[in-house]
Amino acid sequence: MTPVIPAPVPVPLPAPVWLLQLLLVFTFILHLLPMNFLVGGGVILTVSCFLGRRDPHHRDFSQRACRTLPAVVAFTITLGVAPLLFLQLLYGQLFYTSSVLMAWYWLAVVFLIMLGYYGVYWFTLQQEELGQRASWVLLVTASIFILVAFFFSRNMSFMLHPQDFYSQFFQGEVGTILGPVTSTGVARLMHFLVGSLAVGGLGAALLSHAWRREAPELAAWTRRYGIRWFTVGTGIQMLVGLWFLFSLPQEIRGMFLGGDRLSSAILAVAIALAVLALAAAPKSLAASSVAILGALSLMAVIRHLLRVAYLRPYFDPRSVPVQSQWLVFALFVILLLGGLSTVGWMLYQFFRPAASRAPSV
Amino acid sequence: MFGGGMIIGIIAILHVFVSHFAVGGGLFLPWTERKAYRESNPALLEYVKSHSKFFVLVVLVSGAVSGVGIWWSIGLVNPEATATLIHVFVWGWAIEWVFFIVEIAAAFVYYYGWDRLDAKTHLTVGWIYFGAAWASLFVINGILTFMLTPGRWLETRSFASAFFNPGMLPSCVLRTAVAVALAGVYALLTAAAIRDVALRADVVRYAARWLLAGTMVIPPAGVWYISTLPAAARELSMGAAPVVTLFAGLSIFFSALLVVFTYFGPYQHPRYFNLTFAFLLAALALSTTAVTEWVREAVRKPYVIYNYMYANTLRLEDINRIRQQGILASARFVRHHDVDPQAPEESGHEVFRVQCASCHTLDGYNSIRFAVKGWSREMIDYQLLHLNELKGFMPPFVGTPVERQALAVWLLRLNPRPVMQEPPAPGVKAQAQTQNSPGPGEPKP
Repeated sequence: MTPVIPAPVPVPLPAPVWLLQLLLVFTFILHLLPMNFLVGGGVILTVSCFLGRRDPHHRDFSQRACRTLPAVVAFTITLGVAPLLFLQLLYGQLFYTSSVLMAWYWLAVVFLIMLGYYGVYWFTLQQEELGQRASWVLLVTASIFILVAFFFSRNMSFMLHPQDFYSQFFQGEVGTILGPVTSTGVARLMHFLVGSLAVGGLGAALLSHAWRREAPELAAWTRRYGIRWFTVGTGIQMLVGLWFLFSLPQEIRGMFLGGDRLSSAILAVAIALAVLALAAAPKSLAASSVAILGALSLMAVIRHLLRVAYLRPYFDPRSVPVQSQWLVFALFVILLLGGLSTVGWMLYQFFRPAASRAPSV
Repeated sequence: MFGGGMIIGIIAILHVFVSHFAVGGGLFLPWTERKAYRESNPALLEYVKSHSKFFVLVVLVSGAVSGVGIWWSIGLVNPEATATLIHVFVWGWAIEWVFFIVEIAAAFVYYYGWDRLDAKTHLTVGWIYFGAAWASLFVINGILTFMLTPGRWLETRSFASAFFNPGMLPSCVLRTAVAVALAGVYALLTAAAIRDVALRADVVRYAARWLLAGTMVIPPAGVWYISTLPAAARELSMGAAPVVTLFAGLSIFFSALLVVFTYFGPYQHPRYFNLTFAFLLAALALSTTAVTEWVREAVRKPYVIYNYMYANTLRLEDINRIRQQGILASARFVRHHDVDPQAPEESGHEVFRVQCASCHTLDGYNSIRFAVKGWSREMIDYQLLHLNELKGFMPPFVGTPVERQALAVWLLRLNPRPVMQEPPAPGVKAQAQTQNSPGPGEPKP
């Protein structure tokens, strides 16, 4: 049966497709980092918070590390806006259809994020007052963000299957349809969740670097603890990644197993970088971080290639007319550079040692 | 149960109420911080610190997330319009995203930087926050006003014509004034909680001044804004649609009440001001925001993008084609692409779903069952034929005559009529019945 896909709107794209795809992938990578810290870090902190009832290391770690959570949530949301914008521009008619089919769940994401965000603040600002209940607050908060991840994963998978839209539309009640459950979908979600734990662990180890002067013993413990999560997480991730790869439809899987040289090379380099990060972690966190950043970036590229491959039979954004708005794009680039410099200046002022600051007015 | 409009409305009103505070409060914080330094007033500085915590908790969470929420809800309720806006304004949104990043980073550095940054740097971060927040308002305001006053974009299709549309500048002034007023409203909430009586009186009066200053600019800016609206949109709020007119009147009434209460309350008698009064003013401000935004949305009817796309996502340029082809033939998610003569009500239901359901629900918000209650089939058909003429805020019915009749059949069935019966014969138990019998002139099921 011919898949039913709404037509793209008859307004030209405001830039060439390659540029929009580049921005889609690039901004997604920016979003991916804090998102991993949030989801994986949330789980790690929850575990430590419960273990901290008996173990002072876990207690001190969770008390200190949680201070970063509000900023991590804020930047996960903020940096998530841009990839969603470019996704809607390029693949809007697919994304909107899957979103409408799962509308109530998709809408719930907004309220879940707000709830999770307040949960983070509640835990961070009132940890002492909450006492033992703090662990439960964090558990609920971390679970909320995992639920958000689940809905995102469902929507991003469902939009790649326009052949299911029509039948699903008439089978279920519109607004409550999450799309067919497939092993690929489950593997995709697991791939993301396990990856988050690994990156969250690496984040914890990196965070310990900031405490090495004021709390050297805790910093050393956190570093070991974070690396353990990273190592075990990355190890499991390799297996889950294999599961994901082999759950893909044959023609798409083939692309990454020699069928398409570029796709296969990207996957091979990404895996090599992950192995390198694993090997480097105990000795050099910096080297491990750079390697994992490279692996994550390439995984984001692979994710995009998968999307293109899934949608190839149905829709190619290159078929949409283009009328570039270069002047406004240039303004965006200038403002982006200016904005990032401003953020850089503020962060520099915030983090530079107290001794080098000017006396108070 | 909930119509799409109601969902957008709930999220949008929350967002407007918080996001304008994000801008106005962003001005209030460094302004008041500077005042505290100039007057060497450590108590006032302490108040600004505590207000910044409240600010961060309200703005960063509810403000940022509800802003994303509006995007979420419009994409679900009206994907065609959202996609159009994104195609026209993607770089505008990308620019707004840059300001959003700066805004969020500045808010964090400002809040967590009280004890880490020197006063001058801290103040600079405050001004950076305000600059980014206002710039964010400036960009989004251009996109928002485009929907009601797309201006020359309809001919040129250029970004500049779309962004610098007739309503952009007056709306920007209006929203900036609202932001300043709301900064006062929120500041009154935290000021009322100050324990030191003298400081509380000072800050209450100071915050009331912000509220009054903002509201002074609103009437002239509002008149300017209204002057840029399409004539039909203006008429809707001035008598053509009684409910819209009533809400427009309520907006003025609530605003006036807010000014009067603020002037005679916290401004004239700051020492008698308390938290209950502060919440009352906040509730009044929220009510004003709610009815005003509702009116702004309502006067755009029957369009979602004026003179380009109707509220039910049909583009004006497609109307003639759809009239010839049929709405079912043009739609994608329908079971049948033409009317089944054996089951016209089923096709009518599909016509309703495709063309009317973006505004109407069956039994909930803007219930269609209630709207057609008591109407005969002839009446329904006549209304559908002249929908846009009889109800200026509704788009015309678009489809073939057969589709219109099918819709009329389905609409008629929504309210089964009780059948008048002969009085029961003696000894026969009377049974009150109500049945779904067809009305005169209808096909039998």
